[in-house]
Amino acid sequence: MTESNFDPGSFQYDDIEPLPIASHQKDELCRILYDDEYREVMGIARALLKRLELSPRALHATSQAISLVPAFYTMWNYRFQIVKQLFGGDPAKLNGELDWLDEFTLNNPKNYQIWSYRQALLQLHPAPQFVRELPILQAMIDDDTKNYHVWSYRRWCVLFFQNFDRELQFSSGLITRDVYNNSAWCHRMFVLKSQFKAKPPLALVTTEIHYAKAQIELAPQNISPWNYLRGLYQEFLDGEFDSEITDFALTFTLGVFDDPNHSAPILSSHALEFLAHIYTKHQETYGRARCAYQALSKVYDPIRANFWNYKIRSLLA
Amino acid sequence: MSDQDLRTLKFINSELLGRKRPTIEIISDDPADQQPPPVCMAFLSTETTEDREQVLLECSELLNALELNDVTLKKQFHKSYLDFSFNHALPPQMKALDASQPWIMYWIACSLRLMDEEWLSQVVQRRMAEKLLKCSLENGPFCGGPGQDPHLVCTYAAVNALALCGNIDDCWGRINKKEIYEWLLSLKSSNNGFKTGTVVGECDSRSTYCALSVASMLNILTPELSEGVEQFLLDCQTYEGGFGACPHEDEAHGGYTFCAVAGLMILKGLHKCKVDSLLEWCSGRQTNGEKGFSGRSNKLVDGCYSYWVGAVNTILEIHGYDPSVDKTALQDYILKCCQSTERPGLRDKPGKSPDYYHTAYVLMGFSLTEHSYNTTDSSTAISVKPGTNHSQLNAVNPVYGIPIHDLDQFLKFMST
Repeated sequence: MTESNFDPGSFQYDDIEPLPIASHQKDELCRILYDDEYREVMGIARALLKRLELSPRALHATSQAISLVPAFYTMWNYRFQIVKQLFGGDPAKLNGELDWLDEFTLNNPKNYQIWSYRQALLQLHPAPQFVRELPILQAMIDDDTKNYHVWSYRRWCVLFFQNFDRELQFSSGLITRDVYNNSAWCHRMFVLKSQFKAKPPLALVTTEIHYAKAQIELAPQNISPWNYLRGLYQEFLDGEFDSEITDFALTFTLGVFDDPNHSAPILSSHALEFLAHIYTKHQETYGRARCAYQALSKVYDPIRANFWNYKIRSLLA
Repeated sequence: MSDQDLRTLKFINSELLGRKRPTIEIISDDPADQQPPPVCMAFLSTETTEDREQVLLECSELLNALELNDVTLKKQFHKSYLDFSFNHALPPQMKALDASQPWIMYWIACSLRLMDEEWLSQVVQRRMAEKLLKCSLENGPFCGGPGQDPHLVCTYAAVNALALCGNIDDCWGRINKKEIYEWLLSLKSSNNGFKTGTVVGECDSRSTYCALSVASMLNILTPELSEGVEQFLLDCQTYEGGFGACPHEDEAHGGYTFCAVAGLMILKGLHKCKVDSLLEWCSGRQTNGEKGFSGRSNKLVDGCYSYWVGAVNTILEIHGYDPSVDKTALQDYILKCCQSTERPGLRDKPGKSPDYYHTAYVLMGFSLTEHSYNTTDSSTAISVKPGTNHSQLNAVNPVYGIPIHDLDQFLKFMST
């Protein structure tokens, strides 16, 4: 091979005839014009895959292929089979594979094949460690604080290792950075619902209520802590909202319940939505619920008028 | 302070935030701005509010500039974008989609077919069916491209794309239902969700929806295949009301909520979820400024959720619930913010480039706003009421993401 696009590293591939990757279908719809590098790298990797060669040089070839198109899931499948064969139950070698994956992840933050591959590696690993996962999780969330796949993988890890020790603190750090980070708020509910066999201890629920209230005071027009607050009452306190929380919410909606035509600015439409939810629980407060829904529909959140009007009709039914 | 309306937003002590923030002054002499907003998010500036303010500004400019014009969907213009890709080979950078080839064809063909049935010619249908069958082992299950491993979401895209081909060259009869059925069974995992592949691959509400969609379209959804799946999907609903990827309190998300809700309708189990909280979450996706939908709380508007969230709303309406979104406002976002005069195709939001994915889902979302559906609890019996207004797009089945007419032909073929 002269002037190759394929970096063989320390391996020999002279015996491998690259597989032609372009189909020779006449008039093929949506044919991709592969460049020479892609044709060559994929040709070698797919030739090895066709032979199902499970070898160090095959592993190297999959690295090359995956780096060109990270979404090429067939190469991830092939790589996993190679790793299983070569590294099997060897913790040091599997850690080496995790090192490779860390570096790849940092260079390809948007790819999501990495996370299910990572799960498969940990399940193969004889002595997986949560601390080994933390730095990459931290780096990825720091880089993209609402990355869905990273958050979902973190939750999978917490459950896999049954280690909830750092999670509320981790979430708080991100909420301090950006109080509107809904992913971080959802992570708190995940902890409360998953860590305990039955319900979480009342003291913890109370602490969380105080935490949510404090964050609401910083930024009242923020759906995330209001949803969380409502979730805490619904999930762990039988949906019984006390007068303290009602009074708290009322401080953000001053004037709305005094005057049916109130249209002056309020601090939070979510507080109004929260109160409306509480007031629909008992018939004697339906009037206040209706007042809140009407204010939302007319002034404070008119684009959702269809929904608010549906809620008003539900009160009558 | 001069005669300008100077609005100074106050921020909390930066020490409390762990991050220094400048005080921002918004200076405006637009009379429309002199009325303070009824409620304001910007008490505290963070990454979230900064990004949102930027998008809000760009959307408002477009929504206001075009306010008086009766903007319509530029169908011929978008057709040129789609036709080009069916008449020319794709450039080398499209290798990023090398493992998603059935998706490319599904998105383009579906977009054309929604705009005008005649725009997907028999010649293209023939080329498409031939290519799709090449992206498979033995005419099913399907792969991202020739010579690749089978993949559940590629199989979904391939079956949907084949449904758009008419039964040209008996392509429907050639689909290997038996192989697909055996393979689907092998993908079912212990929690009753479906994995995307047998070696590695995610197992979530999206892959599970794809399995249910494929199986019900091919008429192979047996009790064995569907056992326990309903509970898997129900467990993906979160305290926010929407659904997440996995049944471990993931964040509610427009795409996964669509997958769970559509999947539950296929299983006739939607009434078992918390419907009121789903309606509330669904309506909460639409914002007063941009008028389009976001996929999660405190995230930015994106045209693709016109379908993902719009279809959830439509599916609920088909079950007899009232609409929870403002369809006229959504049309405004789509027409003024998702299409531009400079480039054909539809986009996520102003400042982004059009692509096949957004073109397809923005069009499907727009179609949902144009039609009224009859009530039913069966995903395969969805039909529209005869329209009074002249609609610009054909009606789509909100569960399968295929024009109703095409889907009904396909289902009829598979039932015999």
